[in-house]
Amino acid sequence: MNDIEVDILLVEDSQDDIDLALHTLRRENLANHIFVVRDGEEALDFLFCSGPYADRNAAQMPKLVLLDLKLPKIDGLDVLRQLRADPRTTTLPVVIMTSSKEEKDVANGYHLGVNSYIQKPVDFEQFRQTVKAIGLYWLLINQRPQNHFANKPAEPVKP
Amino acid sequence: MSEAVAIDRGVRAIVRFSALLVEDNLADSELVLRELRRGGFEVTCDVVQTADQFRQKLQTTTPDVVLADYNLGSWRGMEALEILRSAGLDIPLILVSGVVGDVTAVECIKLGATDYVLKDSLTRLPASVRRALEEKQVRKERRQAEADLAKKAEELARSNRDLEQFAYVASHDLQEPLRMVAAYTQLLAERYAGKLDENADKYIRYALEGALRMQTLVTDLLTFSRVGRNRKSTPLAGDAVVREALENLRAALQESGAVVHYEALPTVSGDRTQLVQLFQNLIGNAIKFRGEKAPVIEVSAERSGADKRGAEWTFSVNDNGIGIAAEHAEAIFVIFQRLHTRAEYPGNGVGLAICKKIVEQHGGRISVESKAGEGASFKFTLPASPADGEMDHTQ
Amino acid sequence: MKEAPDILLVDDNPADVGLTREVLAASGLHSNIHNVPDGEEAIAFLRRRGKYTEAARPDLVLLDLNMPRKGGRAVLAEIKTDPGLRTIPIVVFTTSDADNDITHSYELGANCYISKPGNLGDYFSAVQSIEEFWFGFTSLPHSGDQ
Repeated sequence: MNDIEVDILLVEDSQDDIDLALHTLRRENLANHIFVVRDGEEALDFLFCSGPYADRNAAQMPKLVLLDLKLPKIDGLDVLRQLRADPRTTTLPVVIMTSSKEEKDVANGYHLGVNSYIQKPVDFEQFRQTVKAIGLYWLLINQRPQNHFANKPAEPVKP
Repeated sequence: MSEAVAIDRGVRAIVRFSALLVEDNLADSELVLRELRRGGFEVTCDVVQTADQFRQKLQTTTPDVVLADYNLGSWRGMEALEILRSAGLDIPLILVSGVVGDVTAVECIKLGATDYVLKDSLTRLPASVRRALEEKQVRKERRQAEADLAKKAEELARSNRDLEQFAYVASHDLQEPLRMVAAYTQLLAERYAGKLDENADKYIRYALEGALRMQTLVTDLLTFSRVGRNRKSTPLAGDAVVREALENLRAALQESGAVVHYEALPTVSGDRTQLVQLFQNLIGNAIKFRGEKAPVIEVSAERSGADKRGAEWTFSVNDNGIGIAAEHAEAIFVIFQRLHTRAEYPGNGVGLAICKKIVEQHGGRISVESKAGEGASFKFTLPASPADGEMDHTQ
Repeated sequence: MKEAPDILLVDDNPADVGLTREVLAASGLHSNIHNVPDGEEAIAFLRRRGKYTEAARPDLVLLDLNMPRKGGRAVLAEIKTDPGLRTIPIVVFTTSDADNDITHSYELGANCYISKPGNLGDYFSAVQSIEEFWFGFTSLPHSGDQ
């Protein structure tokens, strides 16, 4: 458990949405290891290796966090705020995936530094397409930042 | 401050040196000097009695040798040795003393005194001093040689870094203009095919071919020059590394029907990304350079190098492909060195150069045993992991 | 999804700009592409200064890193630290795939980083994917203008 590579951390409390997301990601071969947490506090514990996850290998950060907004204990925007404030997770790719259409949630999300904000489609098939698109874009097309715990690369920085 | 001049081993040449005598008995110091002169030395000498005088003298002069009485009343000759040590001075100290047990003499030498001469055997003294001075000279020469070597090594390392930097920046900066050429010649080829005269189509085709080849060359060069940057070293399970390499080769494995055998590979110490690349290149080559039969590839390892510090493993990647003629066995590891035309086999000849670089970065060696038409066996060494129990279990 | 979104394309290489424009023009989206050749122009555009007083607020910025005068990194830093501009998604779209360029861009607040493929077909696909993701699936902020 402690050393397992996690591709995606799914922060979601709706079982239906969890099932559909997992099913889609696996079927499209987009991610091998998806870890699910069901509230904001657990998400933070997982990422900061605290509480029940104190033994987790801090060098293994997920490649992507899929973050719902309406979560028990600590809500999504608060989780995001804390992630961006901590040097360990400030560049961690986070995609909000929520049913909220509120303009202020969108604005706040981008303000706090979310990488992108996605509204969950109500339609079953569209939801699937959306999860697939997210997986493709953020795991295959996008270039990810180096984990902070890796040695800094010794390549020259161009001015 | 003076230096010994012209030490001539074997022949009793006259040797000039400076001595610092630590002696509270003036008569004894006279005896010592007389004996040294009788032994053929030209010696300039200072005499001190107390520890303070000794320290003070050392601040203004650097004698070639210190001759100290063992018993100095309120202090001991061995304390003088301590003073020399803490000042970081490499000056031989010879105890010249009356009182002795054999035990004490041996102990003093163990603690760092260069020699121990009895006052009633002073005739031994000149030989002892000569030996001490000669050993000091040898030490000095060796230190100088080491410093020279270190300096050369640093220059070489710097030169290598400069070259790598150059290769990296050059290949990095070449990518954009190359893309311009490749993309737009391809657009020309696609959109103007048949619309210009027939020569134009041919010219465009050659230009495009050249551009695409340049692109792969630059990418390969970039990959090669990046090997070694950002290196980490962790314990890695050999099986997991090979599995990841095979995962990356999935398409090639399927297409060729290749079978790869590997089992119970050891845990090694190294950089995961690089070692995956290493196996990927070797196994990829085994698949690419196949003969008539479907490729059968074996990866194995056995312990070696037990006599050096830390054990190492010798890995073998054996295949049943087209093999390599013995006269080419070394050339193939040189960057951009190819043995076949592009029509026969694709590639720029960088894969093995990268393998060699990776292996050497890990302190190992790589070589190939092969005969044309009879498959190839690539062997390389990697350091064993000291933490043999812990394994990298990811994937 | 917005009709005819505005894209600010910050890139000084007309060859790359040409390719990008072509792909975006071919899609059904009819986005308005505003191209500026360096970082200073990009900032002026975003702050509606000088000749850009009537400029639209872009829905997306495609940002090359290597440009004369103000480079892409400086633009990133300036936009992402400005509360009036930081919500605009910035896609770094540049030649380099060097790890430290990538990480540094994220540290400066880039939303994502795509290295320009050398192959023509892959380049087209990349631009298509960017457009499809950001205008087909993502909710973009319509935050009040500065």
